[in-house]
Amino acid sequence: MAGSEERQGLLGDEDDRSLGGGQTAKGPGRPMLAICDPSHLLHRMVVLVLMCFLGFGSYFCYDNPAALQTELLQDLNLNTARFMQLYAWYSWPNVVLCFFGGFLIDRVFGIRVGTIIFSLFVCVGQIIFAAGALVNHFWLMEFGRFIFGIGGESLAVAQNTYAVSWFKGKALNLVFGLQLSMARVGSTVNMNVMGWVYSKVADLVGSPGHTTLGVSLMIASVTCFFSLICALVLGFLDKRAEKILSKEQGKTGEVIKLTDVKDFPFPLWLIFIVCVGYYVAIFPFIGLGQVFFIEKFNFSPAEARAVNSIVYIISAPASPVLGFLVDKTGRNVIWVIIAVITTLAAHMMLAFTFWNPWIAMSLLGVSYSLLACALWPMVAFVVPEHQLGTAYGFMQSIQNLGLALISMAAGAILDSRGYLVLEVFFCICICIALMALIVLYFVDYLRGGDLNLSPSARARLQKVATSDAE
Amino acid sequence: MAAAVQLRLCGVFLIFLFCLVGLCQSLFSRGDAYKRQLSVELNPGSRPALTDGDLLHVRAVGNNDTLHFLFCSLGAPTLLLVHTSSSNSTVTVDWLQFLARNTSGTLKVEPESSILYSTAVVFSRLWEYNDVNDTAHPTSELFPPYELQNFTWSHLNLSGSSALLCGVAATFVNGTLCFQLSVFASEGRGQSLPHLLHSANSSQLSWWLDGVLPQATRSRFLLELQAVGGAYPLSRVDVHRSIDDEFTPSIFKVSQWVSSMNGSSEVLGFVQWKPVAYRQSNPALENATPCRHTEPQRQSGEAVAAASGLIRAFYSEPQTFGLNMSFGLAGDPFYNSTKFLGWTMLVGVGSPPVDSFSPMVLAIMAVGLGTPMILLLVGGLWVCIRKMTVDSTIAYEPIN
Repeated sequence: MAGSEERQGLLGDEDDRSLGGGQTAKGPGRPMLAICDPSHLLHRMVVLVLMCFLGFGSYFCYDNPAALQTELLQDLNLNTARFMQLYAWYSWPNVVLCFFGGFLIDRVFGIRVGTIIFSLFVCVGQIIFAAGALVNHFWLMEFGRFIFGIGGESLAVAQNTYAVSWFKGKALNLVFGLQLSMARVGSTVNMNVMGWVYSKVADLVGSPGHTTLGVSLMIASVTCFFSLICALVLGFLDKRAEKILSKEQGKTGEVIKLTDVKDFPFPLWLIFIVCVGYYVAIFPFIGLGQVFFIEKFNFSPAEARAVNSIVYIISAPASPVLGFLVDKTGRNVIWVIIAVITTLAAHMMLAFTFWNPWIAMSLLGVSYSLLACALWPMVAFVVPEHQLGTAYGFMQSIQNLGLALISMAAGAILDSRGYLVLEVFFCICICIALMALIVLYFVDYLRGGDLNLSPSARARLQKVATSDAE
Repeated sequence: MAAAVQLRLCGVFLIFLFCLVGLCQSLFSRGDAYKRQLSVELNPGSRPALTDGDLLHVRAVGNNDTLHFLFCSLGAPTLLLVHTSSSNSTVTVDWLQFLARNTSGTLKVEPESSILYSTAVVFSRLWEYNDVNDTAHPTSELFPPYELQNFTWSHLNLSGSSALLCGVAATFVNGTLCFQLSVFASEGRGQSLPHLLHSANSSQLSWWLDGVLPQATRSRFLLELQAVGGAYPLSRVDVHRSIDDEFTPSIFKVSQWVSSMNGSSEVLGFVQWKPVAYRQSNPALENATPCRHTEPQRQSGEAVAAASGLIRAFYSEPQTFGLNMSFGLAGDPFYNSTKFLGWTMLVGVGSPPVDSFSPMVLAIMAVGLGTPMILLLVGGLWVCIRKMTVDSTIAYEPIN
């Protein structure tokens, strides 16, 4: 127990110093020193950039198949069902894998080694995937996607854990917002760049074909190497920071056991329910959205694609801004409730009115960004640090499970009952998330938790904890 | 503590749910109880033994009116609806004259003064065109039409109050063109897609083309429909948008070809359909194909009377409007991919049935939205009560 108290003391101490550092950073005094000082804002900015690019490679390569869909179908003679296997091989294993990924981070590897290992998996997976295209063996490509998947989602867990360990109590919501934004930027860049890369490679090779495809995918794997380098540098900086600030993390005090999962605090389970209930009403809907806009709102296919992608386009710029807002105002639960109610309103608009879907989809985009940057940091407030990786891994796992199951259910509902019932179904998922949130609000209120405090109250609480520890 | 709260909340939730479901059932289960007595008769009266052309007569007797559904394959397949104000009105056929097809008045609904309204639908032609550029606009590449009056029609195959009629053109290599008529005693919904809602005042007519070899690999089809009436023929098509695609997934429109009296909005008769056809004999969302209609245009009554024996026999001066239904849009698979095309419509008198939300949707939404509200209330109350008790204990604390 002493270890954790000491750590809290250190955290508080660090907080004070960083506040001082933030003020001096504006002065012209000592910029070189600031960038090397782990407790300094400028140094943390560098770490933040590395953290964002840590996920860039996996987000970029995840959507490679979608960006090259027509090329893949032609060059490898695939049908759509087999093409979708490339995504299935990524997502199904992750229903369990990222839970173990998070657990391994907490228990075995530690965050630094864990991150590097998962980055390696991402790189190797992408290379196998590309090699499969190069030699025209589809099973090898599937295998590559599987390896890629082992790394990809667990890397996201590692990214979250890193974010908390560096930024808890200091703009954590903004950091989560930025990471979401980066994920969106990664897949958008991929969507716009890969076609161009493919055509350039086709010029070089002479003709389009599986070789061209393989080479293009190899080129895409450069982003994974870039992320691997980020992981290495980040690991080095984290080690250095630990030495300088003498924060012994993950090794002192308690160690997580697998059985700790059943003793996760009640609010954490509620957060899981919110996460699953919310995300299953977003991603499967966007997956099925295009035809909905064509049929119900008489959109042209191009318009329907545009309105369908507005959610992601909005989330890239909006999530850092909203994250900043949540940081400044605190009260995460209220923000998440606002996000969930807005989403519910947007879904009901789509279901029960003929109002222009641009309104509803824009609302959906804003609320999705708000939720992402206010919900994920809440985990850090309810679980102790040594369980963080496992908690994030578990959250990601059940989100994946929920998405996989609900996507199938959504398809079946659409086929038999149509879009109205599907929308009603999504509304119910969101209502379940809302119920969990309301319960969370009251539980937190009664337990005097710090989920819903303003930043000043949080700072006061932290000070009290610090003085207690001293 | 938390577990106790959860338990209590669950209890509240369940009670609420039961109340709501009960309420919904009592609200919605009354339905439309209007019923008609159906009696089916093939070739009414004493018919001479002749080979071609059957006449089906379904009498649907209500409380104080009768609907006569007459479906005839003498010439082009025709459905005639006659609405009378008497529950004893009858149909009489002068068979020799009727089969000769050159004079009107050979099929009579008596007493003639009881006739309130009559309307008929004639399936006159099937057009096929070669959609070379996949535009789904039949402009130049039309093949000579299949004249349905020249088809060889099988005898009507009756089962209950529905009848099946299949026929082939002389030029068909394979396959058949079929019609199925269903007449209903009460309100209900079609068993297969598009699950049209019908009332006791309407009949459902399905049409399908099965296994017929197209004349080109990129063939698409058009069906020519003629609506025939006395004073007020079906003259305009209204397209209604609906948010409810519960019964016909992904279709948010319903089209109604209605009669309009001059200046009045009252609808006397209608043909209603959803703009969707199916490319498989087991209709499902993945084999749905959209369809479009042209604006109804006035046609020569004489030509229709010449094509259809029933029109000739019943109407002396048929007023006719015609339209084409075209199946498939640009980019949709061609007929050749499945060699099946099926489409369903309703024909009836009075106002067309209007779809409404199923009780299930309303109940689910009410529960979904109501429960968080109740949770909020219960939680708020509970917190208030706790606060009050805590406050009262705190009041004594300073003394300690």
